[in-house]
Amino acid sequence: MAGAAGGRLVKPVPFAYDAPRSLGEALALAAEHGDEAKLLAGGQSLVPLLNFRLLRPARLIDLNGVEALAGIDAGETLRVGAMTRARALERSPEVAARWPLLVQAVRFSGHPQIRNRGTVGGSCAHADPASELPCALLALDARMRLRSERGERTVDARDFFVSTFWTALEPGELLVEIQVPAPSSRTGTAFLEHARVHGDFALAGAAAVVTIGDGGTVERAAVALLALADRPIRVPAAEAALAGRRLDEQAAREAGALAAAAAEPTSGDVDHRRALGAELVRRALLEAVGRAAA
Amino acid sequence: MTWVGRPVRRREDVRFLTGAARYLDDLEPEGALHVAFARSLAAHARIGGLDLGAALAVPGVAAILTGDDLADVGPLPAIGVEGAWLAPAAHPVLARGKVRYAGEAVALVAAESRAAAEDAAELVQVDYDPLEPVVGARTGGGVPVHDDVPDDVLLRWARRAGDPDAAFASAPHVVRRSYRIPRLAAAPMEPRGAIAEYDPTTDLLTVWLSAQDPHRPLAQLAPTLGRPPESIRVVVPDVGGAFGSKGALAPEAAAVAAAAIRLGRPLKWVEDRLENFLASSQGRGLEADVELALDGEGRMLALRARLLADLGAYLLPTTAVSPHTTAMLITGTYAIQDVDVEVVGVATTKVPTGPYRGAGRPEAAYLIERLVDAAARELGLDPLELRRRNFVREFPYRTAMGWTYDSGDYERCLDAAVVLLEPERWRDRPGRGRLGIGYGMYVERSGGLWESAVVRVEPDGQIVVRTGSSPHGQGHETTFAQIVADRLGVEPGEVEIRWGDSRLGPAGVGTFASRSTAMGGSALLAALDALDEERRRVGEELDVREAAARAGGLEASGRFGSELVFSSGAYGAAVELDEATGRLAVLRIAAVDDAGRIVNPLLAEGQVVGATVQGLGEALVEVVAHDETGQQTTASFADYHLLTAVEAPEIEAAFVETPSPLNPLGAKGIGEGGSIATPGAVANAVTDALGGAELDLPFTEEALWRALREGGS
Repeated sequence: MAGAAGGRLVKPVPFAYDAPRSLGEALALAAEHGDEAKLLAGGQSLVPLLNFRLLRPARLIDLNGVEALAGIDAGETLRVGAMTRARALERSPEVAARWPLLVQAVRFSGHPQIRNRGTVGGSCAHADPASELPCALLALDARMRLRSERGERTVDARDFFVSTFWTALEPGELLVEIQVPAPSSRTGTAFLEHARVHGDFALAGAAAVVTIGDGGTVERAAVALLALADRPIRVPAAEAALAGRRLDEQAAREAGALAAAAAEPTSGDVDHRRALGAELVRRALLEAVGRAAA
Repeated sequence: MTWVGRPVRRREDVRFLTGAARYLDDLEPEGALHVAFARSLAAHARIGGLDLGAALAVPGVAAILTGDDLADVGPLPAIGVEGAWLAPAAHPVLARGKVRYAGEAVALVAAESRAAAEDAAELVQVDYDPLEPVVGARTGGGVPVHDDVPDDVLLRWARRAGDPDAAFASAPHVVRRSYRIPRLAAAPMEPRGAIAEYDPTTDLLTVWLSAQDPHRPLAQLAPTLGRPPESIRVVVPDVGGAFGSKGALAPEAAAVAAAAIRLGRPLKWVEDRLENFLASSQGRGLEADVELALDGEGRMLALRARLLADLGAYLLPTTAVSPHTTAMLITGTYAIQDVDVEVVGVATTKVPTGPYRGAGRPEAAYLIERLVDAAARELGLDPLELRRRNFVREFPYRTAMGWTYDSGDYERCLDAAVVLLEPERWRDRPGRGRLGIGYGMYVERSGGLWESAVVRVEPDGQIVVRTGSSPHGQGHETTFAQIVADRLGVEPGEVEIRWGDSRLGPAGVGTFASRSTAMGGSALLAALDALDEERRRVGEELDVREAAARAGGLEASGRFGSELVFSSGAYGAAVELDEATGRLAVLRIAAVDDAGRIVNPLLAEGQVVGATVQGLGEALVEVVAHDETGQQTTASFADYHLLTAVEAPEIEAAFVETPSPLNPLGAKGIGEGGSIATPGAVANAVTDALGGAELDLPFTEEALWRALREGGS
């Protein structure tokens, strides 16, 4: 007895497979096949769906050979190629220094093995409302650069995430880059999440970005929630209520309550998830303001 | 130098950690076909018809066999337990006429690749005539799962000892509780699988199995296939975990074996994770009403238990074992002689249950230990004091249910657990949440029956041990080598251990119930005793290698049998409950186990840690769920959660050693204590944190948050 069987590991239904080497090639294939094809990035969501045969695409366009799509450029604006692995983001010293929220968030995203394969763009394009990076990017006012054979456009994160597994991407269009503006000085961030076990889908989570002004009051705050609506959402009411105020226990608690009111959980114990969201917002804000002052 | 008792590192880990282990899926007989099963999509339905046309047209498909094709095979034998009545509801190798759970194998597809087999399995068209699913455990009242078992009762067992009715009638205090223990998935890292090859010239059927041992599957395969056991060889390669779920023959493995004979080609089936969730036996699944009668001083007078077990659609070979064990151990570590226990096991349209790490003992420990804490609360007694007043203290002790505890010192275990847990340290700490402290005792049946071993010393001095006890993660190679090294005066590394082949190895019973050290280890001692006789016969003055060189090799075999031995222990848990979110933090688990004499404390502690985390998973997150149509909603690791290293709490482990008088090693079992005692200890800690409110498992964040709001004071 020896040797391995050929082909025994293939579990999905049969599909055609393309492995473009350039963005141009990938865009041409995407334009040609449209909804018939699925784009394969890190495969951490898509491959299980294929293996369970819950998704049955006629064709896969594998983006892993398109090297131009991967990479981190931490200039004034952070530019993250869509095929950048989550692990690369997590390990980037520049990202940790200037956009720490992304590192704080991505550590809740699965396990190291998953982050070694999973990509930033894949996570955004998949648009699971319980995903960490979309929530953090939304809190950081990220912009998504989209390309198709028809041309290029840039969409704000808050317009990109439409609903569960639904984004602003049109057929034939690829998410190619995520741009995150430079943070102001005296800004602190925090990302908190509860899940059944670490690395599992979130029950609820919160991202906070707090910039402190000269008087020690909040110059600007961003509050975003994950797993508390059909998409990651910002909480403008909480952000407005915090602006110009000293971010103390009382202010954080009120912001948490406003976040709970804005939340529209789509699954689980809805009351608990709202309460959890409120508490995580409260804690995230206090953690963020502590870091902003530090 | 003595090796027994030393923390020798696991020698098998080199193989496992470097990827050099050979699991079932690493084996590939020449010309093998690959098998996938078409599985029922319905939880409960009559099969109107089967259309194989589209499936047979898939390129590479060699054959498809249905239940009708294998009508002369099976069902699998349902093994009885002492005192139990079992209904005729054995598991068929493939469904015929009716399907009784979603995931039940309906047809076997053999193809040139697993991929082709899966493509074809999906195209097997089954005409289902749906019946009402039976999701909750109940006795009768709907469409019966088996036409000839109209009340859906698959198992009955009852026993009374003493005069429990009189004791309850006159007792000053009676404490009653009802608890539910959900079903769990064993979820071994390596799923199930079988390879079968038939040689018509010798009429030998060889079956490679991912199994806990070769013996029980062989004993079950023979009657299932209607073949004499001598015509079957079972080989068990390296196994990536089982936790009880690979102790009995799988229906699919029997189908693969039968089909290999029928088709005249070797067949290979390795299930995927979805199949493992859908079709591997599950653990637990029990609803219990328990009552404890006490006098004014907190002396336990009598115990009553009504156990309703959700056995699933069929009786697998060992389905009856766990509920029986729960009943037999229901009095735990306490001296209660007036006892009334009734077990009713019912059919549901779910995959059958079977032994899962602890196998009935976790249920017993959970029920009695929660009930004792509830009694302490109602009587205003310290829960530890209540336990101390009622411990069994003299051994051997014959329980009301009829088992004899061989040795133990329960108070010493409890005292040690309190020291390790350091409750005052947590109580004095500036808390962020509500603190809860809880304890759970356990007593565990282990050992029993017999095992055998052969020790051979070659003329060149090579020492080879063949044991009937085969490992699936326990570390037999290391511990058995230690035992042999001591007797022969050699290093453990000089001792080769072989196992796992029913043709080459000596006979045995199997690796389950934490019995291998006590039974397999003692059989090894018996063989070593016999070997020493052989040595003396050659020359009293010679050492064993000299004698082997002179005699052209020395060989001796030994067999050891005994009654059951009873491990025991005390576990403590310190938990902290976050009021705002309901999240539970486990601060520390104190684990004190009495497994008699410990052969290797490093491996023993490894067993304790692994079992404790598994038990903690049961307490915190694990639950198999079904929707109202009978479909499992937890059939992947996205929905069925396992704890990982991140969630592993601080575990402080210690051993109390009261040697068993029943075997020469003085050993009892260590493989399951953590999974037996942890759920009850954590439950008592959670109840403490909630101020007395009692919840069922698992203690999820939502459930705890609700309990805090609904008046946990």
